[in-house]
Amino acid sequence: MKQGALAILPLAFGAAVYGFAFGLLAAQVGFPWWGVGLMSAAIHAGSSQIVAVEQFASTGTVFGAVLAGAALNLRYVGIVASLAEVLEGLSLRMRLLAIHVTGDENWALTMAERAKSPDIGAAFLLGSGFVMISVWTASTTAGAIMGTVLPDLERFGLGFAFTAAFIAMARGLWRGRPQVLPWVMAAAATIAAVSLGLPRAYGIVAGAACGLIASALLRRIHVDMA
Amino acid sequence: MSASFWAVIGLLAVAAFGVRVAGLLAGGRIRASRHAWVLDDLPGLIVVSLVASSLAGQPLVTWGAAAVALAAAIATNQVIATMAVGVAAYAGITWLGV
Repeated sequence: MKQGALAILPLAFGAAVYGFAFGLLAAQVGFPWWGVGLMSAAIHAGSSQIVAVEQFASTGTVFGAVLAGAALNLRYVGIVASLAEVLEGLSLRMRLLAIHVTGDENWALTMAERAKSPDIGAAFLLGSGFVMISVWTASTTAGAIMGTVLPDLERFGLGFAFTAAFIAMARGLWRGRPQVLPWVMAAAATIAAVSLGLPRAYGIVAGAACGLIASALLRRIHVDMA
Repeated sequence: MSASFWAVIGLLAVAAFGVRVAGLLAGGRIRASRHAWVLDDLPGLIVVSLVASSLAGQPLVTWGAAAVALAAAIATNQVIATMAVGVAAYAGITWLGV
């Protein structure tokens, strides 16, 4: 466990910077610092949290914020499924704890280290995961405390930080040319829906749905051509 | 903290953990199904829609800052660097009075 805890430290530093920035933003849009800390410990999903907080702050709808945040977390179905061998032999309680403390960083590090040495397993995942969730919770809370004492930073363009964060997330999710048409469709449908007066939360659902339809049609065309 | 804040935190915690448990219990079967591509495609589509909804109806300054942030994202693939460059661009364009 100690091996995992030490190995993850450089990645934890990067997460701490991101966490501090998220906490600052969350406090600026009205979340109390302890609520931000509670959220980080209970949810432990950076991009989901930032999306949910932004959606809740801008639309005021609980359901829309939760739906958008949860949808962004769907990749964890695959991430957790890939841990089946690593988690073998653990009790159910420890498995549930392990999947909660699993994040992108410590999952990737565990899998990479396991590829080099089969001895790397659940203890490494848990050790690195405990460090990550602790650092994430502490850094987001610290950012939120800072956010509550600072003046309103919106006039300096801080509100745009959410948009910039989403752009960076999109870059991270970019996998190549097959995504072009679905992404263009999603963006166009969202802009059209919002411009027509639909609430933002519905515009996002409409955009994602149009993108999925485009992606399904593209896959069908590829299958037919094969 | 209002009831709505509690609801966002509580429901998202349940949903996020539910996704992980789904991966633990049925991840292999879900990944093997013919609809597994939805799991891969949906996060990107949601994020693109979020960007689009943030830009819809916004003034030129926001679109300009978004273009600069996109360039930073392509160059760095770093969230913090993109946020810093994007906010600086937004402040700079606003200051220039464009």
